[in-house]
Amino acid sequence: MRQLEFNRRMFVSLMGSTAIAAGMPSLAFGAEALKLWAPGVAKVGANDWSDMKAAAGIDIAPIAKSARADEAIQKMVVGDGNKLYDAMTDNGGGMEDALGSQNAIAKLDVSRIPNFKNIVPDYNEGNIGAHTIRYEGDIVAIPYISNADSLAFNHDVIGEELNSWDALFDSQFKGRAAMQNDYGPTLTNTAIYLKQSGKQDIENPSDMTAAEVKGVCQFLIDQKKKGQFRTFWDGFQNGVQLLSSEEVLVSSCWEPIQIFAAKKNGADIRYGTMKEGHQAWNNILMLTKGGQARGMEEQFYKLANLYLSPWFGARTLAGLGFNPQMTGVGEYIDAHPDDFDANVKQTLAERLKRKAARDSVKGNSWQNVFPKEMRAFQDWWSKEQAA
Amino acid sequence: MSDQKKQGAGQTPGTSSSDLSRKLSTLLFISPLIFMFLFFALPMMFTVVFSVFERTMFWMEPGFTLFAYENFFLSARFNNFLESMYYSLISVIVCFILGFPIAVFVRKSVPQVAQHRVVLLFILPFMVSEIIRVFALRPVLQRNGLVNQTLQSLGIIEEPITSILYTHTGVVIGEVMSFLPFIVFSGFLAMEAIPKYIFEVCSDLGVRPLRVFKDVIIPLAAPGVFAGSVFIFINGLGVALIPNILGGPGAVNAGLIATQAIVALDMPMAMAISAIMTATLMGLLFIGHKLFDITKILSPAS
Repeated sequence: MRQLEFNRRMFVSLMGSTAIAAGMPSLAFGAEALKLWAPGVAKVGANDWSDMKAAAGIDIAPIAKSARADEAIQKMVVGDGNKLYDAMTDNGGGMEDALGSQNAIAKLDVSRIPNFKNIVPDYNEGNIGAHTIRYEGDIVAIPYISNADSLAFNHDVIGEELNSWDALFDSQFKGRAAMQNDYGPTLTNTAIYLKQSGKQDIENPSDMTAAEVKGVCQFLIDQKKKGQFRTFWDGFQNGVQLLSSEEVLVSSCWEPIQIFAAKKNGADIRYGTMKEGHQAWNNILMLTKGGQARGMEEQFYKLANLYLSPWFGARTLAGLGFNPQMTGVGEYIDAHPDDFDANVKQTLAERLKRKAARDSVKGNSWQNVFPKEMRAFQDWWSKEQAA
Repeated sequence: MSDQKKQGAGQTPGTSSSDLSRKLSTLLFISPLIFMFLFFALPMMFTVVFSVFERTMFWMEPGFTLFAYENFFLSARFNNFLESMYYSLISVIVCFILGFPIAVFVRKSVPQVAQHRVVLLFILPFMVSEIIRVFALRPVLQRNGLVNQTLQSLGIIEEPITSILYTHTGVVIGEVMSFLPFIVFSGFLAMEAIPKYIFEVCSDLGVRPLRVFKDVIIPLAAPGVFAGSVFIFINGLGVALIPNILGGPGAVNAGLIATQAIVALDMPMAMAISAIMTATLMGLLFIGHKLFDITKILSPAS
């Protein structure tokens, strides 16, 4: 089966309302709705969140959120975020520290989340993802998706498997390459490439020194001036459109962009495993101090419990290609053949295999939303944008 | 006595009504000033004050530093700013070439009773949300888009033209598509102030159309053309949406540079860019007003 042979029918069947399995808690709509500030990827199933509400057994009032860290910080630190939202999501690996340090989020009592026992071992104390859900040793967040971002490429046109970030900077793709308009993933992935290919000395791509940031940005500015990049994409739709219209042939992007671009134009657009490494990241759910003060903890913990259930994990893997954050997803899929037929199971198995391959690359680096030299990141990124 | 009372009672309401009317007139007179103070002078004052604040990790704090201005003028941002002025000027010229003849045509050739309707019909498509119109340009201008496919199927080009989208050209096209009504409207208003008999006199005297356009229409319509041009120029410089959707690496404008500063949590820089942009535009407006007296656009020609 081709990597992207995952059609709309399977998607609908997976995400549809029939998938609300028996045994899910009954709705407690008498209680106040949890005001959740989150992007669309925080849900599976129906677009109006009805499947999520039914599965969690709570009422949810979702408020659309962008992926911009600056927006989250401004809203929660200097804005009225705590008045507006009971819970919010954002990138782990920095955002929880920033919000924790500003007293914007609450410490969690994981004993109120039965599925916390299923959380993948990455988040146990001392493991790679442990710091992304903790602030000063306390758990302040629950992960719900993660991934290792990579390079999407149009195999139909290129005709070969790409396994190095080198392709992104290769002159044969001049004017047909794109990167994300976000200094976090773009600088980290470029730093991983430069470090692992021996082109620059970089100690930690996720937490570079000011001099290292300068080196990475100057490399990107040179590439930009040579006309290597068609554009820097912003937002999901933009990323999909660039690949599906063949405006670009290679793009460093999120996995759902590759999945939806391939579905949109039917081309064999693949998501490679880069030998140099990838930026790994996760998205986390946090309880705001305002939500806690308003007594929304019970609703929050029910949603957190759903996010750590195989019901959610299997569906986010199938629909958006994100890594489940809990164990037992394979068993869940096997136990629900009506929801996951043989073709879907094969697609998911392949997807998980590729994820495992990406996750095992030694050069991987975890996303750091607020590196120590954040000002250098921001200043040099501004220069890169202006160049 | 009772008559006096009646008269007195009749005078009091008359006096208070007159007072009220006077007060309302005064309020009406100063309301533009209040509006300008609340929605222009005050925000501008804050913009300038914040631009010299010290930036912090997530926001800014009171202080005095010209770092943001130094950072702006000594970096590529200043070049971008100048470039965006240059390309906004190109948008103005293209809009003038395309839009002003429409205004002239409507004024000269369409019967008086139908003129406003014709202008309205022309600008109807522009009532669709700007973001939708700008976004819709992508499938038209892209590599496999309508323009390239048409040119290829006609045999005019072999390879798709890639310099239309994600370039300054794309931004100019987007700006023209978005801001053309400004020049049509203001051009039409200016043309409306020109009595029709002037065209008839020119015709009777056998003046060539080009000379009528150059020596009669342009000088008389100059205030309106300038006002429309200023609207287009300001928007070309400040609307971040268009370069964000149609511009590529390097094709940015001042509005997008300010947005990028906000994304980088550099609030003083964003404020400094806004202050510089406003000062530049106020300067241009002042010079233009001295040259063309844009108040003329609202007063009929005598």
